[in-house]
Amino acid sequence: MTAKISLEHVHQEFSVRPARGARNGPAPSTLVALDNLSLDVAAGEFLTLVGPSGSGKTTLLDLLAGLTRPTSGRVLVDGREVTGPGKDRAVVFQQYALFPWRTASTNVSIGLEGSGLSRRQRAAKAREYLELVGLGGFEDRYPHELSGGMKQRVAIARSLAYEPDILLMDEPFAALDAQTREQLQDELLRIWRATGKTIIFITHGIDEAVYLGQRVAVLSSRPGRLKAIVDVDLGDRSADADVRSSAAFVSHRHQVWSLLHDEVQRAQDAGHRKILPDGTAPDEQPLPERSAA
Amino acid sequence: MSTLATHRPASDAAPAAPVQPGPAPSGPNAGNDSTKTGTTAVGRLRRSASLAGSWVWKSAAVILFLALWEFGPTYLASASTRVFLPPLHEVLAAGAELLRTGQLQNHLLASITRSAAGFGIAVVLGVSLGLVIAWYRPLHSFLNPLLELFRNTAALALLPVFTLLLGIGEESKITIVAYAAFFPVLLNTVAGVRTVDPLLVRAAKSLGLNSFSLFQKVILPSAVPTIFTGIRMGGTASILVLIAAEMVGAKAGLGYLIINAQSSFLIPQMYAGILAVSLLGLAVNTALVAAERHFSRWRVAITA
Ligand SMILES: Nc1ncnc2c1ncn2[C@@H]1O[C@H](COP(=O)(O)OP(=O)(O)O)[C@@H](O)[C@H]1O
Ligand SMILES: [Mg+2]
Repeated sequence: MTAKISLEHVHQEFSVRPARGARNGPAPSTLVALDNLSLDVAAGEFLTLVGPSGSGKTTLLDLLAGLTRPTSGRVLVDGREVTGPGKDRAVVFQQYALFPWRTASTNVSIGLEGSGLSRRQRAAKAREYLELVGLGGFEDRYPHELSGGMKQRVAIARSLAYEPDILLMDEPFAALDAQTREQLQDELLRIWRATGKTIIFITHGIDEAVYLGQRVAVLSSRPGRLKAIVDVDLGDRSADADVRSSAAFVSHRHQVWSLLHDEVQRAQDAGHRKILPDGTAPDEQPLPERSAA
Repeated sequence: MSTLATHRPASDAAPAAPVQPGPAPSGPNAGNDSTKTGTTAVGRLRRSASLAGSWVWKSAAVILFLALWEFGPTYLASASTRVFLPPLHEVLAAGAELLRTGQLQNHLLASITRSAAGFGIAVVLGVSLGLVIAWYRPLHSFLNPLLELFRNTAALALLPVFTLLLGIGEESKITIVAYAAFFPVLLNTVAGVRTVDPLLVRAAKSLGLNSFSLFQKVILPSAVPTIFTGIRMGGTASILVLIAAEMVGAKAGLGYLIINAQSSFLIPQMYAGILAVSLLGLAVNTALVAAERHFSRWRVAITA
C-alpha cells in the first residue's frame, strides 16, 4: 500500500535576521525548524501531531499545504510531489481565517468559485456543508455575528466544501473554551468517519491528541524531529462510556505526556520560549488541559 | 449525509447574539437583535427617552450659537462692529433673496460641478494608482519619498502655478481640487492594501486562489474600508480647497459669492454664502461618512 502523504527526509531552514541593535553584528543566521523528518500517513488516517512550541508543527503544516517548499527533502501526496496549494488539501487555522466581509455561506463557497458551478449551486453546496457542521440556518450571518466555536465550524465547512481528500488542521480548537472544544472534537470525529478524509491535526493538548488520533506523532523540541509515534487504541468508542477516563486513554495519555515532557524540558533548558500570536505560551508544562471533571 | 445534517450546535450557539459595539447603535445589523433586547415597553421607553435626551444635548450647542448670532450683534456689539456682524435673521433674509433670484443655486452649482469633477478625477486616479503602487513593492519604495513631498505641499501653494499653466478658467480650479483630494485617496489605498491580514492571504492561497483572485477577492475587499476613509478625507479637502481657489479668481461659485459680497459691502449676503459653504461641506461629509460606514460594516466588530 502506498501512503497518502509521505514526508521524505524533510528539512526546513529559515534565515533569521540578527537581533535588533546588532547592526554590524553577525550576518543573517539560519534556523533549522525541521530536521530530516520522515513520516507516512495512510489514506483515511487520523493523525495527531504534538510537540513543544517552536518545534516546527506549523512549518510542517505549511509544507503539506504547499504554502512553502522544503529546503531539502520531499513532500508527497498520492506519490506526487507537492509544489503548491491544491484542491486535494484544505487547511483549518487556529484563528479561523474567515473573510469578515463575506457571509458564512459565501465564506464556505469561496473555494468553489471558478469551478463552473452557478451561484445557486454554490449556495446549495454551502448550505449542505454548513448543515454538516451543525450550522444550518446561519448562512447569512457574518463572521462577527458568530461565536468562536461557530466560526471554526464555518472554517471547517469551508475546507470540506471543495471536497479535498486531506484536512490539515493547525491547533483549530485551541482558542475555544473547553466545552465547545469537546463538542467540536466529537463532531470532527463524526465527520471524519462519515467522509473518510485523511486528517493531520496539530495540537498542544495531549488529551486532544490521544482522543482524536489513531496515531499521535510527537515532535522533538527545535529542531523538529520525529521523536516517536504512539499508536492509540481506545477500544470500542461507539459505546456511551466516558472514553477519556478509560484505562486505555489514561495510559496513552501518560505515554504521550512523558515523551512530550522530556522535550519541553529540553526546550526550556535551551531557552526556546515563544509566545503564540493568540497570546498563549505553550512552552509551559504540558499538563492535561482539563481535570477529570 | 442527511443523517448528519440534523445535528445542531448547543453550547456555542447561545452566545451568538450579534454584538454591536461602537458608537453606531443604528448600524445595519442593529435590527437583528431587536428580538432579544428592548422587547419590554419599559426598556423601549427608557431607550427613546435617552435618545431624545442625547439629541437635545447634541443640538444645544448649535442652538446656543445661533441664538448668540441672532441677539449678540444687537445687544452686545458696538455700533461699528454691528455693521460687519448682522444678526441671523438678516443673513437668512439675504439668503432667501439669493435663492429667489436664483443666484445662490447658480453659485452652488458651479462649486459642486468643479468639486465633483476634481474629486472624481482624484478618486479614479488615486485608487487605481494606489492599487498599482501597493501591489509592486519596489515601485512603492521608489515613489514613496516623492509622494510624501507632494503630499506635504499645501495644495493652495500651488494655485499660482496651476493658474499660470492652465489659466484662471475651470481647468486650474478642477486641477487644484483633484490635487488636494488625490493624496488622501492614494495614500489610504496604499495603506489599505498593505495592511491586509497575512493570515487571510495564507487562507486564500490554501484555498487555491491565484494571484488575480487573491487580489480581487481578498486584498481589495479588505482594503475597501481604508480606501473609503481616504475618499472621505479627499471629499472634505476638495471643498475646502475649492472655496479658497474661487476666492482668488472666478466669476462664479460660492467662494466668488463670498468674496464678491464682501467687496461690494453686501455683508448679509457674504454670511449667507458662508452658511451655504458650511451646509454644503456638512452634506458632503455626511454622505461620505455614510458610504464609508456602509462599506466598513464588517469591520465594526474587529476594530471596536
Ligand atoms: N518564516 C519564518 N522565518 C523565520 N523563522 C520561522 C519562520 N516560520 C517559523 N519560524 C521559526 O521556526 C520555528 C518553528 O516554528 P513553528 O513551525 O511555528 O512552530 P510551532 O508551530 O511548532 O509552534 C520557530 O522557532 C519559529 O520561530
Ligand atoms: Mg504553530
